[in-house]
Amino acid sequence: MSEPRPAILVVEDEPEIRRFLRSSLAAEGYRVVEAAGGERGAIDAGTHKPDMAIVDLGLPDLDGVEVIRRIRAWSSMPIVVLSARVQERSKVEALDAGADDYITKPFGVGELLARVRVALRHAARPSNGQEVLAFDDVTIDFGKRLASRNRQKIHLTPLEFKLVACLAKHLGLVVTHRQLLSQVWGPTHAEHTHYLRVYMKGLREKLEADPARPKHLLTETGVGYRLVAENT
Amino acid sequence: MAALRYSWRMKGYAWAVVATAACTVAGLALRSHIDPVNIAMLYLLPVVVVALRYNRGAAAATALLCVLAFDVLFVPPYLSFAVNDAQYLVTFVIMLAVGLVISGLAESARRAGTARAAAALDAETERVRSALLSSISHDLRTPLAVMSGASSSLVENGERLGAAERRALAESIFQQSGAMAEVMGNVLQMTRLETGAITLQRDWTSLGEIAGSVLDRLAARLAQHRVMLDLPADLPLVRVDATLIEQALGNLLENAARHTPAGTLVRLRAARRDAELLVSVEDFGPGLEPADFARVFAKFHRGAGENAAGGIGLGLSICRAIVLLHQGSIWAEQLPGGGTAFRFTLPLEQAPSPPAEETAQEP
Repeated sequence: MSEPRPAILVVEDEPEIRRFLRSSLAAEGYRVVEAAGGERGAIDAGTHKPDMAIVDLGLPDLDGVEVIRRIRAWSSMPIVVLSARVQERSKVEALDAGADDYITKPFGVGELLARVRVALRHAARPSNGQEVLAFDDVTIDFGKRLASRNRQKIHLTPLEFKLVACLAKHLGLVVTHRQLLSQVWGPTHAEHTHYLRVYMKGLREKLEADPARPKHLLTETGVGYRLVAENT
Repeated sequence: MAALRYSWRMKGYAWAVVATAACTVAGLALRSHIDPVNIAMLYLLPVVVVALRYNRGAAAATALLCVLAFDVLFVPPYLSFAVNDAQYLVTFVIMLAVGLVISGLAESARRAGTARAAAALDAETERVRSALLSSISHDLRTPLAVMSGASSSLVENGERLGAAERRALAESIFQQSGAMAEVMGNVLQMTRLETGAITLQRDWTSLGEIAGSVLDRLAARLAQHRVMLDLPADLPLVRVDATLIEQALGNLLENAARHTPAGTLVRLRAARRDAELLVSVEDFGPGLEPADFARVFAKFHRGAGENAAGGIGLGLSICRAIVLLHQGSIWAEQLPGGGTAFRFTLPLEQAPSPPAEETAQEP
């Protein structure tokens, strides 16, 4: 029995960019639904019920962030946004509005497909917060609240546990400063980025082989953090 | 602007009063030594001074005040406006005329000065614009030629080419488009920085994190060099626009890698220095020409022997613009053993420390 091919909605006004997205995604075995504008895209998301959406932030008819809000009003399908370099602010806005990840134009297909795979995988296996996370010689058992490195138990403070758990829940995806702060410290601390800096430093010292050049707890400058578990 | 002009005018009238008063004091002190006629000459002085510096209204006011003061204090009968002699009317008319003529001359001189400054600015803008055009046309033409040649070859001969050749052509298109995107990105960023289109998104940031992220991003470009990171463990947080500072740091590291031989060391250091954070990118290459220390941050400046592959000479100007926007300073200096250090400072503020964990936990 073959699995149905995942369907991806592409909301992008530039026909040339839609063309190359269509051919690259189709070559990977995805079904592609195209929408040339934001209004259309928000409607197509409802009628086609795709497995995920790729939304351009620079749409002429409707703000990409608004498209995300409309989809998020009823669906938790993964959303990856395409942003130009000059859209730093709206990128963060889009992520805070519920987008799962972003990719900056111009981008290569390899980068895009990697984001799509992570987003679809995330949707297929939603975290219940009880998993075991393992990378390098580090193992974190969130259910038992135990962490070890090289089979030696390491002590994580309750906040460090919450922080790494929050990142692990979105494994491979970017999590914004605001999301981390409000989920770990509470919504009243959403602006207190310096908490994050201090605690991320502590976490990296405990979990990274070279804390100055992290390979797993990655900084997304100006946006947030990303936890990557693959050993690349 | 209008408010500024208004306050300049008010200042002119204030000066009219002050200068007349000063002259009167001097006149009273000298009255026993010189004739009233010469005291009248003394009163020409404030008229000339005010006329030179301010507008004709202030000059006329000074002339009027001077004649009144002269008439009341130095022309008998003293302390009255009665003028026995019509000659003092002549004094007034002459003073007024002198005031108006001088203020007219000064005004046109001021206008010419402003026009000259504007012309100089225009010339500078024009120079930068033509440098921009020649730079862009050169740096975009090459990748564009490669892309158009390679892609047309794929379109027209695609069937007859071997798989490896097709791949090589496609790869060169991909690579050249990356180079083009970079040129465009730099030009756009410089324009945004210069026109004030960028507002700083300041937030508490760790320079160590920025360094880690930029080294990760530039791993391929720095692969030929040994990169050393020298950051103290207790480096304070800075409140900066992290995206911009990462860009500045990245440009400095790329610049170092570009101008030094493969295999040499590039060192990124940071340290607290009084109320500032001092960040340095040090290389151990051939060093700069002495004249370059001053002009290396200028737009479209390229080092000796640089070609299209060396960028368009905006990287360091972008660094400077970013650092200046953060109220920091940036400079290059010679290292004792040869090689160059590019350093910049960022002002430090007191970072609030997070609450102790016991109180921050959920109940």
